[in-house]
Amino acid sequence: MSNKRFEKVHPLRVVAIVFVSLVAIFPFLWMVQNSFNTEQNIFGNSVFKFPDLLFKSNMFENYKLVIGKYNFGRYTLNSIFVCSLASIGQVIICTLGGFVFARMTFRGSKVVFTLLLLTLMVPVQVTIIPEYYIMMKLNWLDTFLPLIIPSFLAGAFGTFMLKEYFEQIPDALLDAGIIDGANAWKMYLYIFLPQCSAPAATLFIIAFMNNWNDLLRPMLYLTKESLYTVTLGLTQFQSQYSAKWNLLLTGSVLSILPLVIVFIFAQRYIIEGSITSGIKG
Amino acid sequence: MKNKKLLWHGRFTPWLFLLPTLIGLLVFRLIPIVWALILSFTRWSLLGSPSFIGISNYIEAFHTETFIQTVFNTLEFSIIYVIGSIFFGLILAVLINIKMKSIAFFRALIYLPVVTSAVAVGIVWNWILGPNIGLVSTLLESINITAPYWLGDPKIALTTVASVQVWKMAGYSMILFLAGLQGISSETLEAATVDGASKKQRFFRITLPMLSPTVFFVLTIAVIDSFKNFELIYSMTKGGPQNATNTLVYDVYLNAFVYYRVGYASSVAFVLLVFVGVLTIFNFYIKRNWAQPLQ
Repeated sequence: MSNKRFEKVHPLRVVAIVFVSLVAIFPFLWMVQNSFNTEQNIFGNSVFKFPDLLFKSNMFENYKLVIGKYNFGRYTLNSIFVCSLASIGQVIICTLGGFVFARMTFRGSKVVFTLLLLTLMVPVQVTIIPEYYIMMKLNWLDTFLPLIIPSFLAGAFGTFMLKEYFEQIPDALLDAGIIDGANAWKMYLYIFLPQCSAPAATLFIIAFMNNWNDLLRPMLYLTKESLYTVTLGLTQFQSQYSAKWNLLLTGSVLSILPLVIVFIFAQRYIIEGSITSGIKG
Repeated sequence: MKNKKLLWHGRFTPWLFLLPTLIGLLVFRLIPIVWALILSFTRWSLLGSPSFIGISNYIEAFHTETFIQTVFNTLEFSIIYVIGSIFFGLILAVLINIKMKSIAFFRALIYLPVVTSAVAVGIVWNWILGPNIGLVSTLLESINITAPYWLGDPKIALTTVASVQVWKMAGYSMILFLAGLQGISSETLEAATVDGASKKQRFFRITLPMLSPTVFFVLTIAVIDSFKNFELIYSMTKGGPQNATNTLVYDVYLNAFVYYRVGYASSVAFVLLVFVGVLTIFNFYIKRNWAQPLQ
C-alpha cells in the first residue's frame, strides 16, 4: 500500500509539532514540578528554582498531606465509585436505546430520536433548578444518587453513537436471529451486544471522564465532606487554602492523574470515539 | 429504500427497551425545560411556594446593567471560543496531518488538555498567570515589560478565560479536522499536482473547499460547547472582577444557588435557552445553504 509509506518531513515542521505539543502539556509539567515544592520555596524570589523536595527522602511530603490530612484519598474513591456506576448505567441504557433506534421499526421512532438530539444541545444549567427540586423532594440530597441517575438516564450522546454502530452490523445477523426464533431480548443480549464491545468501551471511558470532571452537580448535591468527589474537593480546597499553592497544585495533579492514566491506555478509543459521536472527555 | 421487513418484534417491545431513555428524557429534560419556563414567571426561594409575578423577572433582568453585561460576556466568550477553536484546530490538524511514526504520540499530547478537568486547568492557569509570582509575569518582567493583571483587570479577564478554554479544547477540533483532512482523497490532490498546482493553490482551492462540511460540523459543536464554561469560570474568576467574566450559565448558578432567587435564575436560564436555540437554528440554516460538499 502506497499510503503506508512515511513521507519525508521538513525539519521545521517537526520543530513546530514539538513546540505545539509542549504548549499543550507545559501547564501540566509545571503543575507537577511545583507539587514538589515546599511552601517557602514556591514563593521564592524566582520562579525558576529547582523544586526543593525533589529526590529528597521526604519527596512525597505534599502528596502524603493532601491524600491523608486533606482527604483526597477519600475523594478519589468516591469519584471512582460514582463515575463507574454512572458509566455502567449509561452503557446499558445507551446500548438498549441504540439497538432500538437502529434495528426496530415503530411509530414515533423519529420523533423520540429527534427530541433526544435536540435536548442534547440544552446546557445543564437550564434544567438544573427543577432537577434540584426533584432531588430534594426525593430526599436524595447528600447521596450519590443525583450524580448517578441523571447521567445514565440522559445519555443521549451514547444512544446516538451506538445507533450508528448497530446500523453498520450486517442484516444477515438479524435474519439469522429471526430464523432461530430469538425474541427481542435474546437478540439484543446474545447477538447484538457482543458485537459492540469497542464502542461500548469507548462510551464507558468517555462517560467516566465526563462524570469525573463534572462540578455543578456534586457542588449542589453534596454537602457532607466525606461524600465529596475529587473535582468538588479540589474547588473546596481552593477556596479554603488559596495561598497554599504547593498543596493546591498537588491536589490538581491527583485530580487529573487517574484520567491521564486512562487516557494513556485508551487514547485510540477516546480519540476515535469523539470523532464519530461529537463527544469528548 | 430497503424493502419493508417483516416486523420481528412485538409492537410494544421498542417502548419497553426505551423505557429508561424515555424516563430520562421526560424527567430530566423535557419536564424541567417546561418547568423552568413556568418558574421564570414566579418569585421563589426554593422553600415555600412560588408566587406568580408575570414577566417581572425578565423586565428586571433587561433593566439591570450587570445582566446586559452578562449577556454580552456570553456572546464575547462564545465568539472568541468558536473562532479560536476553529482557527487553531485547523492549523494544528494541517500541521500534524503527516505520516510519521511518532505522530500518534504528539496527537495524544495535544489532545491531553481536552480530557483533563476544567477545575485543575483553571487552577494551574491561575498559578501561571498570577501577578508577581506567576510564570508569565516573571518572564515578561525579565524583559522589562509590566505584565497586565490577566485575571484581575476587568478589561481583559474575559479574554484570558476564553483563551484558556481555547487552549484546552483546540485538540478536540484538531481531531475533527484531521478526520476531515484524511477523508479527502489523495487522488484529487495528486491530480492537481500533475496539473501544476502549487502547494498553496492545492490547500486553498482543493483542501479547504472540500473540508467545508467538516468546518460546519466543528462550528456546530463549538457553538454548543462555547456555553459550557461554568467549571473554568468557577475555578478561575468566579465571575469577577466586577462581573467581567460572568456568563449566563454562571449567572444561573449564582442567582439560584447563591442568592436563592430561583424565579429570577429561571428567567436567566430561559434567556440562555433562547440563545442556544437561535444559534442552533442559525447553524442549521447556514449548513443547509452553504455547506454543500463540492461536485
